[in-house]
Amino acid sequence: MAEADTTDAEPDGAAPIVQVRSVRVAFGGLLALRGIDLDVARGERLAILGPNGAGKTTLFNVIAGDIAPTGGTVAIKGVDCTRLPSRRRPRLGVARTYQKARTFEGLSVADNIYLALAGHRRRHRVPWRSAVDRRMRAEAERVAESVRLGDHRGTAAGALAHGQRRQLELGMALATEPEVLMLDEPASGLSRGEREHLVTLLEALPEAVTVLLIEHDMDVAFRIAGRVVVMADGETIAAGTPDQVRGDPRVHEIYLGSEGGT
Amino acid sequence: MRTGSTVNRRTAALLPLVAFLAALPSMAPAFFINFVMTQTLMLGLAAATIVFLAKYGGMVSLAQFLLFGVAGFMYGNAALEAGSRGLNLGWHPWAAVASALAVTTAAAFALGALASRTTGLYYLMLTLVYAVIGYFVFAQITEISGPSGITSIERPELLAAPVSLYYTALGLSVLAYIGFRALGRTAFGLALQGVRDDPVRMASLGFNVPLHRTLAFALGGFVAGLGGLVNVWWNGQIDPASIGIGPTLILLIIAVIGGVSHFEGAWLGAFVYVLMFTYLRDLPLIDRIGITEARFNTVIGAIVLLIMVLSPQGLAGIADRLRRRLPRPRRPGAERPAKTTGRLTRAELIDE
Amino acid sequence: MRRLDRPRRTAALLAAAALALAGCTDGGDSTGLPADEGAGPASGGDGVRLGILGECEGPFGGFHEDVVGGTSLAMVNHAGAQVESATSALDGFTGAEVAGTPIELVGIGCGDDTADRILEEVRRLVEQLGANVIIGPLSGDEGIAVAEYAAEHPDLTVLSGISGSQEQTLQVQAPNYFRFFGDGAMWNAGLGDILHNQEGWDSVAVIADDYSFGHTSAAGFIAEFCGVGGQVDTRVFPPLGTTDYSPYIAQLPGPDEVDGYFWAVGGTGTQAALEAFVNAKGDLTGDQHAGNLFFNPDLAQALGTDIAGAYVGGFATLPGDVTTPAIEEYLASADETWESLPGGVSGNEPAPPSTAAAFGFFYGYYSAGVALIEGLEAVEGDVSDPTALHAALSDLTLDLPYGQVSLDENRSGIVDVGLSQLVVDDDGEIVQEAVAIIPQVDQSFGGAFGPDTPSPSRDFPPCEERDVPWEGEAIPVVDGVPQR
Ligand SMILES: Nc1ncnc2c1ncn2[C@@H]1O[C@H](COP(=O)(O)OP(=O)(O)O)[C@@H](O)[C@H]1O
Ligand SMILES: [Mg+2]
Repeated sequence: MAEADTTDAEPDGAAPIVQVRSVRVAFGGLLALRGIDLDVARGERLAILGPNGAGKTTLFNVIAGDIAPTGGTVAIKGVDCTRLPSRRRPRLGVARTYQKARTFEGLSVADNIYLALAGHRRRHRVPWRSAVDRRMRAEAERVAESVRLGDHRGTAAGALAHGQRRQLELGMALATEPEVLMLDEPASGLSRGEREHLVTLLEALPEAVTVLLIEHDMDVAFRIAGRVVVMADGETIAAGTPDQVRGDPRVHEIYLGSEGGT
Repeated sequence: MRTGSTVNRRTAALLPLVAFLAALPSMAPAFFINFVMTQTLMLGLAAATIVFLAKYGGMVSLAQFLLFGVAGFMYGNAALEAGSRGLNLGWHPWAAVASALAVTTAAAFALGALASRTTGLYYLMLTLVYAVIGYFVFAQITEISGPSGITSIERPELLAAPVSLYYTALGLSVLAYIGFRALGRTAFGLALQGVRDDPVRMASLGFNVPLHRTLAFALGGFVAGLGGLVNVWWNGQIDPASIGIGPTLILLIIAVIGGVSHFEGAWLGAFVYVLMFTYLRDLPLIDRIGITEARFNTVIGAIVLLIMVLSPQGLAGIADRLRRRLPRPRRPGAERPAKTTGRLTRAELIDE
Repeated sequence: MRRLDRPRRTAALLAAAALALAGCTDGGDSTGLPADEGAGPASGGDGVRLGILGECEGPFGGFHEDVVGGTSLAMVNHAGAQVESATSALDGFTGAEVAGTPIELVGIGCGDDTADRILEEVRRLVEQLGANVIIGPLSGDEGIAVAEYAAEHPDLTVLSGISGSQEQTLQVQAPNYFRFFGDGAMWNAGLGDILHNQEGWDSVAVIADDYSFGHTSAAGFIAEFCGVGGQVDTRVFPPLGTTDYSPYIAQLPGPDEVDGYFWAVGGTGTQAALEAFVNAKGDLTGDQHAGNLFFNPDLAQALGTDIAGAYVGGFATLPGDVTTPAIEEYLASADETWESLPGGVSGNEPAPPSTAAAFGFFYGYYSAGVALIEGLEAVEGDVSDPTALHAALSDLTLDLPYGQVSLDENRSGIVDVGLSQLVVDDDGEIVQEAVAIIPQVDQSFGGAFGPDTPSPSRDFPPCEERDVPWEGEAIPVVDGVPQR
C-alpha cells in the first residue's frame, strides 16, 4: 500500500523536508507555474512573496496535493508524492490553510477543530462517542482558546467574522501538530491585534516545525521567515534572506514597488 | 458541550410523545392505528433517510424509495416458499429479513459508490436515474419481481397481530430518530457534515470523501430497507409499480413538506400526507368545490406549494419558528446553535 | 462536557422503552387492543355496507363513472334503489333493499391501476368506513391484491368488478372472493377452434403486450389453438408504451411463412403496431389476421377494407349487434335510470347511458351487483353469518342479460363468450359483427391452467395438444340472433 511506503520511509535528516523539482502547472493555455524548484529544510521558516497571480497558491496546492502538477515532482520527507491524493498527505505531517478560509460553515468552531483532529488521528468513521472523543473534544477546546476563539467554540463557523474564520483555519492546521505547516496569507483581513497574536503564535511553534508562509504583509513575513522566495509569473525570481531580498532591485520593480504597501 | 443541551432537550421532549404513541392503540380506532399511523411511521422512516443524507451529507437522494422497494422484493423472494411469483427461496422469515437488509445495504453501497463523486443537482439527477433504472430492472426482470409483483407475502410469526406492525414501525422510527441525531455528534456524523460543507477541505484533513459519502448512503439504504420491510409486511405484496416514479416523488414530497433540515419533519410530513390522502375526501362538501379523488394529486401539490411558500424549511421549520419566537440570524446549515451560541452570534453580527 | 452523556442515556432509555413496548405486544393476539380486533369488516351489523372499488386515476381512470354506474343499475333494477343524480353515477344511490335488508353505499374507492393503491383504498373502505361487502376492482393486478386482502379478512365479501387476471381466483382461492365474469384468457375462447378447424390455420405468430393482461390474453388463445392441434411458431412481446414497433414486427415471420397472426396489443400500441406491420410486411388481410378485443375498428384504424373476415375475441358483453329481449331490456333500463352518463366509451362526454352499459366495464360491475342481490335473497337478507352468504353466492346461477353465469370451484365465472368478425357494411366501413357464442367457458381450458401452473408469461403456456371442452360447441349467430 502506498501509505505504508510513505510512512515507513526514514526521514533523512539532511535531505530537504519539502523538495519541489521543475514543477509546472498549466490551466488550459495558462501556465500558472513554469518550472519551480524549491527545497525547504526541516524547521525552516520560509516566506513566499509575489504579486497576485504569481502562482503562490498554486504551488501550495501542488505541495498539499489539491492539484496534480502538469510536470515535475514533489517529495515530502524524501518520498515522492507527486501523485499522492491530498487526503494521504496529512499522514506525512502536512497541514495547510487556504487563502480564502475554508471552514465547515454548519459546524461549530469546536467541531471544526475536532474534525481536523479526527482526520489526523484517523478516527474518520467511528459512529459512536467514546473516551477518545471526549479527550479530542477537550483538546479542540484548548486549541480554540489558543487561537482566541475560546468564547466562540459553540458558534457555527458560518457565523464567524472574517478574522475569526482565519483564526479558526489556523487552529485547525495547528491542532494536528504538523511537521510542515503551510499558511496561505494568514494575516489578510486580520486586525492589528490579531496579527500580533498570529506572529506570537507562529514564533512559539516548536523549532522542528517547518513553516511555509505566503504573505503580503511584509512585516509579518519578515518577522517570521528566515528565508524568502519571491515568485512572479509562475517562476521564482529571487531568493535569500529577508535583507537580501529587500535589496534586490528586480523584487522592488516587480513586487515591492507596485504592491508592497498592501 | 453547549449543543449537548439542545440534543438533550429535544430527546426529552420526545419521551412524552413516544409514551403517547405507545399508548395510542388502546385509545384510537383500529383503522387509525393500523392504516394511518403505521403508514405514517414507515413512510416517515424512509423519508428520514432522505433527511439524513440531505441534512448531514448535502446529498438529496431520490433513490431511497428504490432501496425501500429492494428490501421488500428481496424479502418476498426469500420468504415465499411456493407459487409462481419470484424466486421462492422459502427461507426462514428472519433469514429473509437478514438477507433483504444485506442485499439492500449492499445495493446502496454500490449505488452510493457510483454517485460518490457527484454533488448537488447532479446527485439528484443521478439518483433519479437510479430510481428509474431500478424500476425497469424490477419491471423487466420478472424472475425477481413477479411477474406483476410478488404477492401473498406473509410476515414473521412474531408480527402476526396487526398492531405489532405499528409497534415495529414505532420502535424502528424512534431508534432511527435517536440514532440519526446521535450520529450527528459522532466523528462519522461530523465528518459527513464536513463533507457537505467543503469536501476539498475534508480531503486535505485526511478524510476519504467518496468513501464517506458511500458509507452514509449505505447506512441510509439500510434504514430505508427497514422501512421497506415494514411496508411489505403491511401490504402483503409488492410490484414494480410500487417503486415507480410516482411513489419516489411522493417520498421526496413528504420530506419536503416536513422540512429536509429536521428529522422530525420526515414523520410530520408523512403524517400530513397520509392524513390528506385518507381524510381529505371525507370533508363535508369537499367534492362540491371540485376536490374529488381524481384531483387529489393536484390538491396535494397545492398544499405542498403553500407549505413551501410559507416556510422553505417545511412544517418542521414552521414549528421551529413558532417554538422560538425570537428572530435569530440563520445561515445555511447553521441551525442548532444553543441559546448561548445564539446570543454570541447576534453580538458578533452587531460587532461587524 | 460532563453533560455529554445525558442525552445518550435518555436516548438509550427511550429506545429500550419503545422496544419493550413493541416486544410485549408482538405476536400477542390476546392483547385486547382495538387495533388488533377491529381490522376486519364491521360484523354483526343488520345491513349491507357496500364499498365500490372504482378507478379514478391511471390508464382506466376514464371508466370511473361506468363501474359505479354498473353496480348502481343493478341496485335500481333489482333492489328498488334510486340514483341520486340523473347525469352522473358517482353520486351513488339510495333506498336499495333486498329481503328487508338495506344496502347502503358507504364509499367509492379510487384506484389508479396499481396494487398498492387499491389496497389502500380497500382498507379505507373496510377498516375506516366499515364496508362489509366490496364490489371491485377493475384491473388485473388489482384483482390479485384485493383477493389476497379478502383471504386475510374472511368476514368480508368481495365481488370482483371486471378484473381479468386468472390468479385472483385460480390461485388465491379466497373463499369470500367471487367473480361473475370471465378472465382475460377466456375472452379469447373459440378463436383457436375456429381458426384451426374452420379457417385451416396450422401455424400462427402471436404478438402481445408484455405485461400481465397481454400475457393472459395471448395465453388463452395459445392454449386453445395449440389444444385443438395448431402450432404457435413465434411469440413476440413488445413492452407497453412502445412507440416504434418495427423491431418487434421484424421478429415476426413473413406472411408466406405462417398461416396467420394473432394480435393482443392494446392502448396506443394497437394502431402503431399495425402500421409498423403494414410498412414492413404488407397489407393486413382478413384471412391472415385475428386479435383479441383490441383488434376492433374503433381502436385499430389502420385496418383497411382488406381486413374483412378477420376474427376478433370477446369481452364481458356480447358484440353490439347481438340483440335479445334480455339485452334490449337491460340497455333500456340504463337509459331510464339516467338522462346521460359521461362514461369512458364516450370519452367522458355525456352520452346515452346504454352506451356505457353495453361495454364490459359497466357490465362486470352490474353483474357483481346482481350477484350480491341474488345472494342476499338466497339467505333471506340475513348477513349476520358471512359464511352462509358466501355459500349462497357460490351456488348462484345468474341469468344475466348477456348470458348465464355460474361459478366454478374457485368461484370464478363460467360464462358465454361472444366472437365476432370484421365485415364491410353498406357504407363501405369496417364494422364488427357477431359470428358465434362459445357457451360455458371456464378458466382451466381443459387443464392448461390450474392452481399449480405458473401465471401466464412470455413462455407459458407451452404449445400442447389437449381436449378443449368447448371445441365444436360454438353457437352460430346470424344477423345478431344466436341460433341456440
Ligand atoms: N483552478 C484554476 N483554473 C484556472 N486558472 C487558475 C486556477 N487557479 C489559479 N489559476 C490562475 O493561475 C494563476 C496563478 O494563480 P494563484 O496561484 O492563485 O496566484 P497567487 O496565489 O500567487 O495570487 C493566476 O493567473 C490564476 O488566475
Ligand atoms: Mg494566492
